[in-house]
Amino acid sequence: MFLNQNQATSLAIFCKVVDNFGDIGICWRFARQIQQEHGIAVTLWVDDLRSFQRICPGVETDAEVQQLAGVTVRHWRNQEGVFSPDDVADIVMEFFGCDIPPGYIAAMAECNPRPVWLNLEGLTAEEWVEGCHTLPSRHPRMPLTKYFFFPGFTGKTGGLLCESSLEEQRRQFQSDQAAMTAFLVQFGMTPAEMASLKVSLFCYPHAPVSALFDAWQSSDAAITCLVPEGVATEAVQAFLDGEAKPGAVRTCSALTVRVLPFVAQPDYDRLLWACDLNFVRGEDSFVRAQWAGKPFIWHIYPQDKNLHHVKLRAFLQRYSVDMESLNVFSLGWNDAKVDGVEEQVDWSALWLSFQADMPEIACRSIDWQRQILENGDLASNFLRFAGRVVSDFGKQSIMRG
Amino acid sequence: MKTAKEIRVGNIIMVDSQPFIVLRSDVNGSSRTGFTYKWKMKNLLTNSPMENVFRGDDKFDVVVLEKKEATYSYFADPLYVLMDAEYNQYEVEGENMGDALNYLEDGMACEVVFYNGKAISVELPTTIVREVTYTEPAVKGDTSGKVLKPAKISTGFEIPVPLFVGIGDKIEIDTRTGEYKSRSK
Repeated sequence: MFLNQNQATSLAIFCKVVDNFGDIGICWRFARQIQQEHGIAVTLWVDDLRSFQRICPGVETDAEVQQLAGVTVRHWRNQEGVFSPDDVADIVMEFFGCDIPPGYIAAMAECNPRPVWLNLEGLTAEEWVEGCHTLPSRHPRMPLTKYFFFPGFTGKTGGLLCESSLEEQRRQFQSDQAAMTAFLVQFGMTPAEMASLKVSLFCYPHAPVSALFDAWQSSDAAITCLVPEGVATEAVQAFLDGEAKPGAVRTCSALTVRVLPFVAQPDYDRLLWACDLNFVRGEDSFVRAQWAGKPFIWHIYPQDKNLHHVKLRAFLQRYSVDMESLNVFSLGWNDAKVDGVEEQVDWSALWLSFQADMPEIACRSIDWQRQILENGDLASNFLRFAGRVVSDFGKQSIMRG
Repeated sequence: MKTAKEIRVGNIIMVDSQPFIVLRSDVNGSSRTGFTYKWKMKNLLTNSPMENVFRGDDKFDVVVLEKKEATYSYFADPLYVLMDAEYNQYEVEGENMGDALNYLEDGMACEVVFYNGKAISVELPTTIVREVTYTEPAVKGDTSGKVLKPAKISTGFEIPVPLFVGIGDKIEIDTRTGEYKSRSK
């Protein structure tokens, strides 16, 4: 990606786990892809190794430094530490504006040439992102410039995380019935469940899961809902009438709910590929659902003053502007007001209309994939931009010199 | 020091030991860690413009500059001329006026800001009152103020106002955000 004379050989990623598994999920995918597809040595600094272990079982939670899939993982314990320019990577990425240790920033300022410093921001479909993508952010007190890098859905943003082999892996898996069956059998799924409408459910605790379960029970076709342990616990336990531990299952009328263990990232992808409909949450699983090419419903991370509804509407405006049942379902799932509708959501009626539209929604998801692939993938775009910054540094040095 | 979210258009901040005037601020939101502030700034030493983005909690040294009360007098392209109580005139470059131009009227009171003895910008009162010169007809009974419509004030600037505001109404505007505050009596 870099011009030969500006070849970066190292990348440091700083990741602070604020909630759940999205932060480390995104950084881990990003780190592996940069290392494996671009040959750059990656050090991933992460403050919460326990969360990391949930999505990557090979993580040792008490190790200061460890090697995982070619990536150096360092436990980022605190903001202390003295660093020298030799400790600084060619590219330094802070994720979601997490504060890099002051000692590391001071060392960055001493480097010659200075590292490329990028802040990878959160994903949103809002238009303003295009105006801020790749803009500089001069450090107030040091001769350093950070650049904001926004993932997104248009060619004027950084695109989405997508490994080069992902589409081929998905195609192979979905065309191999035996592999798909073996994958589902490991969770205890029966042939009848496999033949039913398979739904994966990943959401925050406030999603109206119980209401949807009620609607599904009176469905005219069998539905199997696969939910990882710890997700929607209250509603799942109420349905199961027992503990929501992996392997727990209960069928009531048309609905079967089955609790899965929390799976590592590659298996979560397979789960999305194997299901007919996916409920996803946050950013990481939201992006993976788009690459799965199946209908999905997004439960967006909640923000104060319902700012997340603005983001949700911005996405729906791009993704499904003419698909009413998908829009209404998505808004209702996120407790966002539907224009012109005052009364409470009738989940039974909404499910019927959504179910009827699912073939059309599935077609849309395939078109959408094609559309967002045209923007390139986030890791390659990121490195291309970093190369441009290095090239601009070089030009400025020549002009000054 | 002030955080980015506390800094207003017209403030002078130090960036890597150089003074910059903030000419325009677009608040975009929002990421999980807060809003993103996109500023158009100008280096007061080199006059070169710069567009940067910052997080709301990024901290800056704000330069406290000399200020004088003055009133807007006239426009002598490209300079805006203001006058103090002793009839001293101060010229401010149009591009340094920032959002003040949205509200500027003859005789308007404001503060002229100086850097190294040179008038470089103006700061407006936090709240000003302006008359609505055009808007769609008022909707009586809608008092929630949640639904907004555009309204033009005498300078031609448009701001969103509640549906009950009509032509001829005087409204209070927060000059820091450009937002409608209330109807003035």
